[in-house]
Amino acid sequence: MCSRSVIKKINKLLLSKELSCKELTENYLNQISSSSLNAYITVCKDKALKSAEKVDEKIRSGEKLELLEGIPMTLKDNISTKAIETTCGSRILKGYKPIYNATVWNTLKSKNSVLLGKTNMDEFAMGSSCETSFIGGAKNPHNLNYVSGGSSGGVASAVAGNIAAYGLGSDTGGSVRQPSSFCGLVGLKPTYGSVSRYGLVAYASSFDQIGPIAKTVEDAAIVFDEIAKYDPLDSTSNPKANSLKTYESLTKSVKGLKIGIPKEYYDGIDEEVRKSLEKALEHYKSLGCEIKEFSIPEVKAALPVYYILACAEASSNLSRFDGIRYGYKTSHYTDVNEMISKTRSEGFGAEVKRRILLGNYVLSSGYYDAYYKKAQNLRGLISRAFDKAFNTFDILLTPTSPVTAFPANKKYSSPDEAYLCDICTVPVNIAGLPGVSIPCGFDSNDLPIGMQLIGKKFSEAKILNAAHQFELVTNFNYIKTPSMGVKI
Amino acid sequence: MITKKDIMEISSLSKLYLSENEINTAINDISSMVKFVSQVNSVDASFEPLESINEVTNSFRDDKIVNSFPREEVLENAQGGKEGFFCVEKAR
Repeated sequence: MCSRSVIKKINKLLLSKELSCKELTENYLNQISSSSLNAYITVCKDKALKSAEKVDEKIRSGEKLELLEGIPMTLKDNISTKAIETTCGSRILKGYKPIYNATVWNTLKSKNSVLLGKTNMDEFAMGSSCETSFIGGAKNPHNLNYVSGGSSGGVASAVAGNIAAYGLGSDTGGSVRQPSSFCGLVGLKPTYGSVSRYGLVAYASSFDQIGPIAKTVEDAAIVFDEIAKYDPLDSTSNPKANSLKTYESLTKSVKGLKIGIPKEYYDGIDEEVRKSLEKALEHYKSLGCEIKEFSIPEVKAALPVYYILACAEASSNLSRFDGIRYGYKTSHYTDVNEMISKTRSEGFGAEVKRRILLGNYVLSSGYYDAYYKKAQNLRGLISRAFDKAFNTFDILLTPTSPVTAFPANKKYSSPDEAYLCDICTVPVNIAGLPGVSIPCGFDSNDLPIGMQLIGKKFSEAKILNAAHQFELVTNFNYIKTPSMGVKI
Repeated sequence: MITKKDIMEISSLSKLYLSENEINTAINDISSMVKFVSQVNSVDASFEPLESINEVTNSFRDDKIVNSFPREEVLENAQGGKEGFFCVEKAR
């Protein structure tokens, strides 16, 4: 079967000289400027064209072209890019131009990637709809009245809307996988420590991980293999990352693969999502996989544990935004305390303020033992429960989200009601595991449904292999593709 | 559950000024969020805490002098930097 990989198609196109990299980049830039998706915060027109010319020069001189060279792509706007505005979707960082590149961008830049721009996101990655961004949310290309998901909603919107070939997002509690699920894409949250966090603006450092969002598993694997490597600039980077090679394992047979179905993940999910997953299981059965349901009751505590620990870490991480060294600074004040407090009050949006307040509450004396410490204990419990599950199973199969994309501007009765949407994605971050979301169907509104494959630490090759084998016998990643954007 | 006094205390710790309106919203929101995360108190948590999910601990680099960022570049994003320093109002 012919590969559906967008990266490989573009590579072939460039090598055939049917289209120059500059022409291709211009096509993307034109489509971005006429797009109504609100996917981009910053577009890097001149820099993108310059990178494309460099690739054209290489093609003209007959030099070998690596797969990622000349591929027009995007980065979530919390990944630092030297001299290119990096806002994190927040007013407090409007105008901020980092003085260094994130390691992931240094890596991709050295491969002559063409950075089209920086994509929209929930403010400081706090949200599941992209709507807490200071420029408003990115739209879902499958239906513009629906959200793209979050927090990496801009990347997902751009890739699904064909105004980027692929992108990098960050995943703290599901921010790569959930928007991928909502937009019919493949989104990989790698093992904690496998991709450098150097230059990723921190939300919750012990959960954050950068991962690819792409149209196909092949594309995600190609990008992941490039960015997964040990980085001395990130003290949580793991040397094991250097040996992660997933692309070469994609074609392996999955016959005999033991797939666990953790039944707690299926409690209260949408009926259409459930039916889609049941069909997916039939596909895996026909591929020769062994499927068994089991119980992992520990994950029931995952959401409160996540919100305690992530908000606690965020309240500390976000204390660096003080108006002194970078970013927005208030104009009227009388002393330094007033300057810092006014800067932060005017610069942060409502959701960020809420999470900082909750974070400082659970860390404050008198409450520390009842919340923060207890959550740390439960994090251990959840992590060990997964270790135990992987003694029996090779991978776990779950929904990515209990629901499909919801309409824009949805109102919730309380902030925690919105958090319930993250129930299937946060356990992976709590335990530092890899998880990939892949398309597995559509609901009655023609909105994509995603399923999640979870593996033990550093088993990206295994989950991507299983994902790719599913992709080969289904067609969810290319039927009903939004017709907007650049045609490849 | 959460009082106005609690909100005033944590907003001060968070270096956030809240308007009267924001305080009232915060009382409701934080109460609801605290109630939500209090679910951890209904689970037996008498286990060893997990301080880090990472296998890597004490990651040291070689003790070699490496280049740092030039001072002018570091100050580029600061508003009100003076003579190679960050500047703030006098603390009182």
